[in-house]
Amino acid sequence: MKWMKNAKTYTPPDFAVIRDDERCIRCKACVEQCSFDATFYDEDLDKVWNWEAKCVGCDRCAAICPVEAITIKKRETPYRYNYSWYGHIDGLKKRAAFGGTPVVSMGNDKPYPVYWDHMLLNASQVTNPSIDPLREPMELKTFLGRKPDFVEFKKDGSLKTKLTPQIELNIPIMFSAMSYGALSYNVIESLGKAAQEVGTFYNSGEGGLNKDHYKFKGNVIVQVASGRFGVHKPYLDVGSAIEIKIGQGAKPGIGGHLPGEKVSQTISETRMMPEGSDAISPAPHHDVYSIEDLRQLIYALKEATEYTKPIIVKIAAVHNVAAIASGVVRAGADIISIDGFKGGTGASPQIVRDNIGIPIELALAVVDERLRQEGIRQQVSIIAGGGIRCSTDVVKAIALGADAVYIGTAALLAIGCTMCQQCHTGKCAWGISTQDPHLSKRVNPDIASEKLINLLNVWALEIKEVMGAMGINSIESLKGNRLNLRAVGLSEKDMEILGILPAGE
Amino acid sequence: MKIVIIGNSVAAINAIEAIREKDKVSEIEVISDESYMAYSHPLLPNLVIGNISRSDKRFYYRSKDFYDKMNVKRVLGKKVVKIFSKNKYIALENNEKIEYDKLLITCGGTPFVPPMKGADLKEGVHTLTNIKAADKLKKDLPNIKKCVVIGGGLIGSKVAEKLAKYGIKVTLVELMKRVLFPVLDDTAADYVHKELKKDKVKLILEDSVVEIRGDKRPTEVVLSSGKTIDTDGVVVAVGVRPNLDFTKDSDIETNRGIVVDDYMQTNINNIYAAGDVAEAYDVIISAKRPVPVLPLAARQGRIAGLNIAESNIKYNGGFPMNSMSIGKVEFISMGIVDSEELEILKIEKDNEYRKFLIDNNRLVGMILVGNVERAGIFNWMIQNKFDVSWIKDTFLNSDFGWKYFDKAFRVLRLNRKIK
Amino acid sequence: MKIVKINEDNCVYCHLCEVACITEHSKSKDIIKAFKFEEKPIARCTVEFNYPVSFSSMCRHCDDAPCVEACQTGAMHRDERGCVVVDPDKCVGCWMCIMSCPYGIIKRDERREVWGLSTKCDLCPDREIPACVEACPNNALTFEEV
Repeated sequence: MKWMKNAKTYTPPDFAVIRDDERCIRCKACVEQCSFDATFYDEDLDKVWNWEAKCVGCDRCAAICPVEAITIKKRETPYRYNYSWYGHIDGLKKRAAFGGTPVVSMGNDKPYPVYWDHMLLNASQVTNPSIDPLREPMELKTFLGRKPDFVEFKKDGSLKTKLTPQIELNIPIMFSAMSYGALSYNVIESLGKAAQEVGTFYNSGEGGLNKDHYKFKGNVIVQVASGRFGVHKPYLDVGSAIEIKIGQGAKPGIGGHLPGEKVSQTISETRMMPEGSDAISPAPHHDVYSIEDLRQLIYALKEATEYTKPIIVKIAAVHNVAAIASGVVRAGADIISIDGFKGGTGASPQIVRDNIGIPIELALAVVDERLRQEGIRQQVSIIAGGGIRCSTDVVKAIALGADAVYIGTAALLAIGCTMCQQCHTGKCAWGISTQDPHLSKRVNPDIASEKLINLLNVWALEIKEVMGAMGINSIESLKGNRLNLRAVGLSEKDMEILGILPAGE
Repeated sequence: MKIVIIGNSVAAINAIEAIREKDKVSEIEVISDESYMAYSHPLLPNLVIGNISRSDKRFYYRSKDFYDKMNVKRVLGKKVVKIFSKNKYIALENNEKIEYDKLLITCGGTPFVPPMKGADLKEGVHTLTNIKAADKLKKDLPNIKKCVVIGGGLIGSKVAEKLAKYGIKVTLVELMKRVLFPVLDDTAADYVHKELKKDKVKLILEDSVVEIRGDKRPTEVVLSSGKTIDTDGVVVAVGVRPNLDFTKDSDIETNRGIVVDDYMQTNINNIYAAGDVAEAYDVIISAKRPVPVLPLAARQGRIAGLNIAESNIKYNGGFPMNSMSIGKVEFISMGIVDSEELEILKIEKDNEYRKFLIDNNRLVGMILVGNVERAGIFNWMIQNKFDVSWIKDTFLNSDFGWKYFDKAFRVLRLNRKIK
Repeated sequence: MKIVKINEDNCVYCHLCEVACITEHSKSKDIIKAFKFEEKPIARCTVEFNYPVSFSSMCRHCDDAPCVEACQTGAMHRDERGCVVVDPDKCVGCWMCIMSCPYGIIKRDERREVWGLSTKCDLCPDREIPACVEACPNNALTFEEV
């Protein structure tokens, strides 16, 4: 063994690596694959060892092992069980040992209720026949953007009203903002390819757009965040829509920090900043301190792009999200994107990720309701994101009032992510959240885009299947159709906020 | 068309294969003074001591049915005495005439026996360049307890090693200061010296045999230094020279070998030459010279064959290259191996020796001892006069490989997009 | 003809091509037996690594294969599929093929009693797709026409 444990800073390992020595053929595939130095080969003893304290449980070694000799298990600490302290002891010890607040990634992993799982969908019986999506046409096409208050037609039947810019989606699912910097070049390439193939959009995130990815024009949403990295005219022009990021579900109220080590030459070119310097996104936009300021920014971007692109404003789901959303709409946003507290991140302090924000289900319901009450719902499209895990989550979100959804974590899972929550280390063993040129080869854009396309196509089929069961043949008819939702196991107040009836009523 | 090939070894066989790729109809006739199928000359020392037999298919260059499959007529055991290029026929020693439309000369080399007294002793003085000689030596082995091998070249050192392993007390006499003089430098030759000494071969360097004494069989040899060595057998392995016996009186241009152009044709139309007998272009010295190594014989034979079958393929030139193992030491060397003027990179560690000679950013020679596996890449660089200025620093790494090349180049090269 | 195309941008340096090659060329063709209970064959492909570069390389089956030309016994030959292969019963381990291989991908197997054995990719005669290509988790090796 090359290591010796340091008892001074000891915190118990999270995982146990169980290696079946009878199977192990010493091919060392696992050794090469472990990017966290938790696996190594000892030539003298002809043995493969694991340093479990370094294991993050990403399962890369087990996935690559040709003889399935590796099992990774959650390692339970032997501490006496204590309900109220459970899950806090390690964190407390880490803070004490290392003197810093732990940074984590991916989404909130605490056992907060998931409201999707308390909502059930309706189906047609007898009076209103269900539809077979394999035989009947089904429409999932969605347009996002400000809709006119009313429409006028010319005598020949063509539209007289001039429509504001819209973006057209073949399915109501888009890839949410994940920056080049947080993700590797190959992942961005895969997202772009998949969006292009399926006819939807991926979001550049706040890291600008690499010149190579301008080829995805027509399927990109470009983001303008508080750091304004890589924002320039050609960048805005490539985007089909422009998203102003005010907040992010995983870390509402705080900015971002890309460590200098990750700012490689290509990243520095893309972000327009010196190589090796930290990329700091401030918590607020330093020119947005009010709805009026936001309006100025929205219109600045509209001016810059000659009113050809819808402007999205992305806000985190927080306590008074409904009022904020109302203000955002009045500031001139064409699309509002709400990010729930289960949304992922490349790096966030653990306390923020785990404790700030509210569930997207509730936020979506109250925003939709509030905008309807104020009579401005048609002025804006709503995108819900942060914790969409499956096709029925999409259906439920749309029934609660969303026009479309953003998926981030789900897309990454599709291309290999195992949610080991090590994005912030930049050592992603699956080649996803890393800028290491060797590690990032682990995502092959051809394979990954194929998987993403499969995922979107299967979800689309499932959505059609569920819609068919409800007797709905167009996604438009599902939008805000809360009658198709019934709650199980929710409090009366929850149901009131969600605007749905209990099952059976 | 009738194609006649003189000689029946590597160059001839490759020529036959090349001709038959293009031309299934023409008559092909092979004439050789040996009456065997083409065999592997480098294995002769093994044949002598018996770790390969004449019935082992390893020993033969092609399978038994090769000539039938290729539809080749064989005239074996007959010597060619003269070529009449004007009337397009050749004369055999039994006065037989064989007419041809196209002629390929691949008659190889003959052993060179340096002038010394007593070299004409009938018994106990051997050479080792063909089966007959090997058989003779093999038959004589029981009479040999002590043997002097004259010449520390490829055959000389190999035979010395094999005979020593067989249990004979061997003395190796080499004129130069090291064995394998043109093939290895001092450092590399030292590995061979050590290996030979391990087998109890006595090495006498910088000396030569001036006389072989004995009545019927040799009893001792006298060296130019005046020393004498008791012996009961002598193997002369000083080298081979192109076999120019029957071209002497013809109008075929010869120098040290038969001079050929880039298409392996001699100065006379329709007469081609290839293999050890030919004097073809050498890319390193940029001039023509005979390079008697097997891979070049094969390539020249093939190109001659293709051109006989009316293709227009150019011979890009070759250079000396050798791969050999003596005892446990394996080495590969190419081109120039020792020089005072050229840029030299070398490293010796862990029983591994690497040396590269670079002329004006072009690799012109190299020696690998021990770890030889990547040698071919250097061969390719020498052949193509590859600019090594940006990669030569990595040559000395024992893990040298494609990984050190420029990515764009490597990708194209490994996927066969660049020759 | 089809050869194994090397897509180095996808190579993750996992060595599974070598593992598959060893298994395929073993006596039992069983991974555990090949590695632990039988004489382990030498992998015909070689994975090279020079951060961040990694790739596996194996015989390119040249049209004018210099190794075939250089072979002194005719052991190195082109088979009916067009692949350059070694006849182990003819090979004497003189390493002339190694000397002439312009890709440097022929390996030495020196475990036989008398003769060494040149070891190189034979494109898996018993398979439709070579084992390394099938084993590669990231399509860094593909079986394609060149």
